[in-house]
Amino acid sequence: MADSSRLIHLKIVTPKGIFLEDDVSELVAPGKDGDFGVQIGHTPFISSVRPGILKIYKNDKPELFSLMNGFVMVDIDKVRIFTEIIENPDDIDVNRAKRAKERAEKRLQEKKENTDLRRAEAALKRAVTRIQINEDGFH
Amino acid sequence: MASLKELKERIESVISTRQVTSAMKMVSAAKLQKAQQLILKARPYSDELDLFLRSLASRNRRQLHPLLHEIDDKAAKNVGLIVVTADKGLCGAFNMNIIKKAEEYLHEHKDKKIDLICVGKKGFDYFRRLNMKIEASYVELFNKLEFEYSRDIMQLVTEKFVSRKYDEVLIVYNEFKSAIQQNIVLKQLLPIKELKEDKEDRYAAYLFEPSPEELLDELIRKDLDIQIWRVLLESSSAEQGARMAAMDAATDNADEMIKDLTLEYHHLRQSKITTEIIEVCSGAEGLQ
Repeated sequence: MADSSRLIHLKIVTPKGIFLEDDVSELVAPGKDGDFGVQIGHTPFISSVRPGILKIYKNDKPELFSLMNGFVMVDIDKVRIFTEIIENPDDIDVNRAKRAKERAEKRLQEKKENTDLRRAEAALKRAVTRIQINEDGFH
Repeated sequence: MASLKELKERIESVISTRQVTSAMKMVSAAKLQKAQQLILKARPYSDELDLFLRSLASRNRRQLHPLLHEIDDKAAKNVGLIVVTADKGLCGAFNMNIIKKAEEYLHEHKDKKIDLICVGKKGFDYFRRLNMKIEASYVELFNKLEFEYSRDIMQLVTEKFVSRKYDEVLIVYNEFKSAIQQNIVLKQLLPIKELKEDKEDRYAAYLFEPSPEELLDELIRKDLDIQIWRVLLESSSAEQGARMAAMDAATDNADEMIKDLTLEYHHLRQSKITTEIIEVCSGAEGLQ
């Protein structure tokens, strides 16, 4: 077990509520300009994140989540992550994401109405991120 | 006059309609609660984002960001109008109020080029029937609201705004006042109105990555996202409230109707029996 005085308070906030609140020993987030790790006593800073993996260390084994975008606000003793979409990679249905990707690609090729195009593009981006996260072998 | 059999059938059909309306009322009550919980849950996220945005915006000169750039209201020639209705009917004047408000705006601003963006099936169907050009539509979304919808809408309008296709983006929707009251709101989404300055500046001690300017851009888009998300939740709550009230009134009306019809049925049955007795009596008298 990690020493409790070395733990940092983590809170992940989404528009649908508090996703997670816990004391952790370390976390690694996909910052816009590269991944960064945070432990207790870090200089306060705010970074935006790119779609990627958030690793949370509580014990030896890290917990993984896929982040789509958002901000990380780091204080001396706490970290807050504000994100619109965060998922547990185990909850992602890769086959469904692949189907969504195919659908979106097909819609983009057909180019019927601009309404569909825009949504197809967004759907494609999401699907690709989800597939990558599962296939990059983080387990 | 209706026959006994016809009356009985009518009573039965009103009873089954009453069951439907009273069930819908209860379903709406449950959905209303859910939608309101979502509004509460969005608060920690949107409150913090709002503070952060104000802090960053007050340290940047507002002219720097195109989404904050305001032009003279009268000079706004191209307008994007987002019309938020429900996907379904049976909720009183809920949808019509919004459509009327949108039409009123279209009528009063004939000098402007107005693009319609329809959210909700009812508004979309209405304007499509009138053969009006609809720039974009989002339908069948209220049954399962996902944050991705508001992001799609945000991306659409910000792109058009930044590329100067729109000078202004407005949104018209039903605001949830109470379970029985909705307010029709027409508000400006873009350009973003004057932001209140953050006097405390709680973020003064932080380092930023990337630069505050780049963060600001992202933050403004996120703030719009959550604004649209809240509008969708408000509208969804208001819709359920309106449906609850409409179904409550319908159930009351059905009760009234059942009472009247049953009375009529008894009257008719009684007079039929009386006639029969008279017939029997006079027949018996004739035999004597």
